[in-house]
Amino acid sequence: MADTHCFHCGEPIPSGVELRADVGGKAHAVCCIGCRAAAEWIAALGLDDYYRLRTAPAARAAVVEDFRAWDRAELQQLYVRKRADGDAETCLLVDGLRCAACCWLIERALRGLAGLRDIAVNAAAKRLYLVWKPDEIALSDILARIAHLGYEPRPLDAASLDAVARRESRTALKRLVVAGLGMMQSMMYAVALYAGAFEGMPPATRDFFRWLGLLATTPVVIYAGAPLFAGAWRELRARTPGMDTPVALAIALVYAASIVETVRGGAQVYFDSASMFVFLLLGARYIEMRGRHCAADMTDALARAQPAVAARRTADGALETVGVHELAPGDVVSVAAGGAIPGDGTLVAGFCEVDESLLTGESAPQRRRAGETLFAGSVARTGPIELRIARIGADTVLSSIARLVGRAQRQRPRWAELGDRVAARFVAGVLALTLATALGWWWFDPTRAFPAALAVLVVSCPCAFALSVPAALTRAMAVLAQRGVLVLKPDALEKLAHVRRIVFDKTGTLTARRIELVDIEPLGALDAASCLRIAASLEAANTHPLAAAIRAAAPDGSAPAQELVSVAGAGVSGRIDGHEYRLGRPGFALGEHAHPPLADGRVVLAGGGAALAAFRFREALRADAEAAVDELRAAGAELEILSGDAPAAVGQLARRLGIEHFHAALSPAGKLARLGAMRSGGALVAMVGDGINDAPVLAGADLAVALGDGADLAQASADIVLASGRLLALAEARTLARTTLAILRQNLAWAFAYNFLSIPAAAFGLIPPWLAAIGMSASSLFVVLNSLRIGLPRTPLATPPEIHREIAAT
Amino acid sequence: MNIILVLIPLSVVLLGVAVCAFFWGVNHAQFDDLDTPALMPLSDESPHSSGRGTHE
Repeated sequence: MADTHCFHCGEPIPSGVELRADVGGKAHAVCCIGCRAAAEWIAALGLDDYYRLRTAPAARAAVVEDFRAWDRAELQQLYVRKRADGDAETCLLVDGLRCAACCWLIERALRGLAGLRDIAVNAAAKRLYLVWKPDEIALSDILARIAHLGYEPRPLDAASLDAVARRESRTALKRLVVAGLGMMQSMMYAVALYAGAFEGMPPATRDFFRWLGLLATTPVVIYAGAPLFAGAWRELRARTPGMDTPVALAIALVYAASIVETVRGGAQVYFDSASMFVFLLLGARYIEMRGRHCAADMTDALARAQPAVAARRTADGALETVGVHELAPGDVVSVAAGGAIPGDGTLVAGFCEVDESLLTGESAPQRRRAGETLFAGSVARTGPIELRIARIGADTVLSSIARLVGRAQRQRPRWAELGDRVAARFVAGVLALTLATALGWWWFDPTRAFPAALAVLVVSCPCAFALSVPAALTRAMAVLAQRGVLVLKPDALEKLAHVRRIVFDKTGTLTARRIELVDIEPLGALDAASCLRIAASLEAANTHPLAAAIRAAAPDGSAPAQELVSVAGAGVSGRIDGHEYRLGRPGFALGEHAHPPLADGRVVLAGGGAALAAFRFREALRADAEAAVDELRAAGAELEILSGDAPAAVGQLARRLGIEHFHAALSPAGKLARLGAMRSGGALVAMVGDGINDAPVLAGADLAVALGDGADLAQASADIVLASGRLLALAEARTLARTTLAILRQNLAWAFAYNFLSIPAAAFGLIPPWLAAIGMSASSLFVVLNSLRIGLPRTPLATPPEIHREIAAT
Repeated sequence: MNIILVLIPLSVVLLGVAVCAFFWGVNHAQFDDLDTPALMPLSDESPHSSGRGTHE
């Protein structure tokens, strides 16, 4: 990696930072002390292979925080579970865990810690499972060690250890494998029986194979098929026949008929059909469940936003670190600059700047005065501040949003329900037809009644119908999830395929959460370059976005500044080489002498009371904004920008991206009205936004798309989340949604055509049951294989590593 | 053909053993995470991991 980017985290190195980390005998440039510590510690452990193995850059290492609060009994009660043998176990969510190499690194670095009994890392879920001996090592030591590596460990509450999801997934896997193995066995015996039917087989041998088939199929039906029967029973008791009832009935009938035929030495047994039916149904359900769990893991990430510990002010004025759950309304807590607000509450005194981008998507820090409300999950930019808690935990705005997201994920797609309803009605019809066939043949030729009725039942097995929708949907969602697109609401995929007009919010959506310096206008004796150097020195330690923009633009080697004083919301002053400089709003920099022409949001550098230069800034474009806009336009979408910002800024951005239509200075109500006008034209409208302030607007669109990199909480009203923060993924997803829809139609058409032709033939006794079984399998197989075409040809991700780095940097 | 009277029960017994082994694996977290372990063997025998002894 070039020296302009941090060796450890891949982010651009701020100018003026001259840090080197010694890894593998070479000095590599790093961006901060945290990253240097992480890189050197990794090298000291002999784990520098990590840098070779990883596929994504690491997260920027934070300066290690104090984890001792985690050793408090009150916190451990909630987050740690004691095992019978005296060991303690917990589950951590590890921020910054990005690829399998991270897992390798954590596992290697922790293994060998005295007292640590067991450790398991899961990259997909960002989870770390720990078992340790509490009397030999403290949890805080383990957490500190992980933090030293550059990750942010955050214990999840003990309930997540009992992971319902994990138990569900294990049981489902067992049932699936039992069904699969049983199916293979019963199919082998079935092949022997078919061969025997053609070539001749002594009845004793035939019966032997039939009993073997019964032996192999019984666990499949009784054990693996249990959830199907349980579902049918539930549906019957609730008197709402769904998909499970006919399916369970069909399995039970085929199984029972085969037993009867085995016992009485009849013409044909169908153990292979019964077990394959169970296996395919369980397979589809297993895929669906995996997708659901994956989405749930992503939602848990919302929990990160809320800190677990807080500094509470005690009666005698001292600070004590306590768990957030110990806080009560009315408590006063102190939050340091850069710390997360632990609960909703009011500012006690003075004023502060908070970053509410998580909640609102607004990247600029918000000023709050004493008495105004601060929300959990936002980050204090200035501090320390004191906050009187009003609501904590489940009552906070943040939690209610997380609940909304969870609820949205439990809904089922309308397609799937439609498919279920169609299949249920279809199966009811088939059962009636089976009965009619049996009765008809009974009257006509009783010996053929049973085989014909069974052929109808088997040939029309609702597999193809039942599988056509979930197979296509689960495949599409899996492919999309791989590409960083999470489909949260059931109908989103269908809408995405049909959507014609796409509306973008500006801030945070088309633009990155980063500001860049446009130009410097010298106003005094000094030239632009010297002014920039002075400004960079003044802002060297500032965390404000404007300061970061100035540092990013400035060349290396700026002189250190003394007597730096930062005035929140105004600017910074300091002394360089004996001269005093002020940088900030015109009113702050120039005092009384502020010129009216300069009051246009520019930042002014002043020395000795005279203006030296004016700095103009603009929002940096999201790295792939231009590519995404081009791609979507090429695919025939009409694009538009709706923004609350000033017309000049919006117009300039629209021209840069080549978007013709834009509306600026709109309130949320104005945006809603504009969306309503577009929708009344009959077109499906998608809205792409990223903040909670976009929430009402997003809700007003047919399809709401939220970007997942900054404002997780916009997911509350989003149908689709671009988890990778890549705008380009939207264009890919739209193409994929169209393919999915086409394949879904093919599946349904096939299932319908197959059944339309084969059922009458079977009813009239033209299809022997063994052919019916093969036909049923082939029709299901067709549906599954056809669905696997979604996402092919496997186009490589249209994102070169540079763009990933850009995103990581924003 | 009498050999099938031996071979088939044998295969059924082996199947039972396989299912038991698989259940044991599932219950001992062998199948909980199918993504992470893929990379582990690649790095285990790497000539560069000279520091393997250092974390004892």
